[in-house]
Amino acid sequence: MKILPFFAAVFLSAPAYAATEGERVQVRGELIDTWCYFSGVMGGTDAVVGSAHHTCALWCSAGGIPVGLLAEDGTVYMVLKIEGDDANASGDTQLNLASHEITADGMLYARDGLNYLVVEKVVTDHGITNLNHEDYGVVPGFAIPNPNK
Amino acid sequence: MKTFLTAATLVIGSLAAAPLFAQDFSEGSTAKAWNLYAETPAFFGAKVVDITCEVTGDCPDNCGDGNRQLGLLRDADDVLVFPNKNSQSGFQGATVDLLPFCDAQVEVDGLLIQDEDIKGATNIYLVQKIRMAGAEEWTKANTWSKDWAKKYPEAKGKGPWFRRDPRVNAIIADSGYFGQGLSHAEAYEATQ
Repeated sequence: MKILPFFAAVFLSAPAYAATEGERVQVRGELIDTWCYFSGVMGGTDAVVGSAHHTCALWCSAGGIPVGLLAEDGTVYMVLKIEGDDANASGDTQLNLASHEITADGMLYARDGLNYLVVEKVVTDHGITNLNHEDYGVVPGFAIPNPNK
Repeated sequence: MKTFLTAATLVIGSLAAAPLFAQDFSEGSTAKAWNLYAETPAFFGAKVVDITCEVTGDCPDNCGDGNRQLGLLRDADDVLVFPNKNSQSGFQGATVDLLPFCDAQVEVDGLLIQDEDIKGATNIYLVQKIRMAGAEEWTKANTWSKDWAKKYPEAKGKGPWFRRDPRVNAIIADSGYFGQGLSHAEAYEATQ
């Protein structure tokens, strides 16, 4: 039984996060703005993605809000690099892919409940495929100014 | 005995792999509420780090010089907190506000987002103010817009920055507000 305190000491003295050793993965998903998605500031998760939220996703990406890859199973991967571009705060590569669904090949890291992705290759850029403006209009509502004013 | 030890090891292992418990960092916080569903005020000490460096080991000078997202390695539990947002209303992240504190020990005050209903919505932070550890004076995390104005003097004008941002406007001019090639009038009409 003296072995139990040993196990406890070994496991509990280590920081409570996974080692940041990468794992090669291929993920398909949409590049989203993570603040609107995680905070709920503009409503439910269905409305803050896709074409309805495209303009806001551009604003957020340009504004330095972190970009995530929302996979088909609902997992969000915080994107650290795309094809060598490490500008993950307001960078051009992330901005140009806002709202696009991509198939990404790269390295996955996990730390403290968040997933991180280094996209080594955009295997396919499927474009903006979630046409949810047909259901939600534009989110937020002021994103498209009245052209007659 | 063997079964018991295996079970005990699994229990201890799972405890170590997951956050041990949700700590409360609200004591001492003077953060302003945003009335977000899953927000809690959070005041804590931390080291400002380059998240890409911290996670992957790729570490350029000066935390990436403003090009990379910066994180808060919390003193109390070594958790890497991800500041998604600064204190300004609108669409600004926190990198510009945190960069002057790269690699420094600081104290921060703001709102922590922990939403069990959204996959991955954990250790997300809205930083409202920052100060060096031991300092009295706070710096408000609201400098993004001034920084943007310096970068884009040609975009000076009325209205919020996001209506005038040259990169955003170029993309909208190319593919429209929904990214589907609709003209401005067509896109507006689709929302009516």
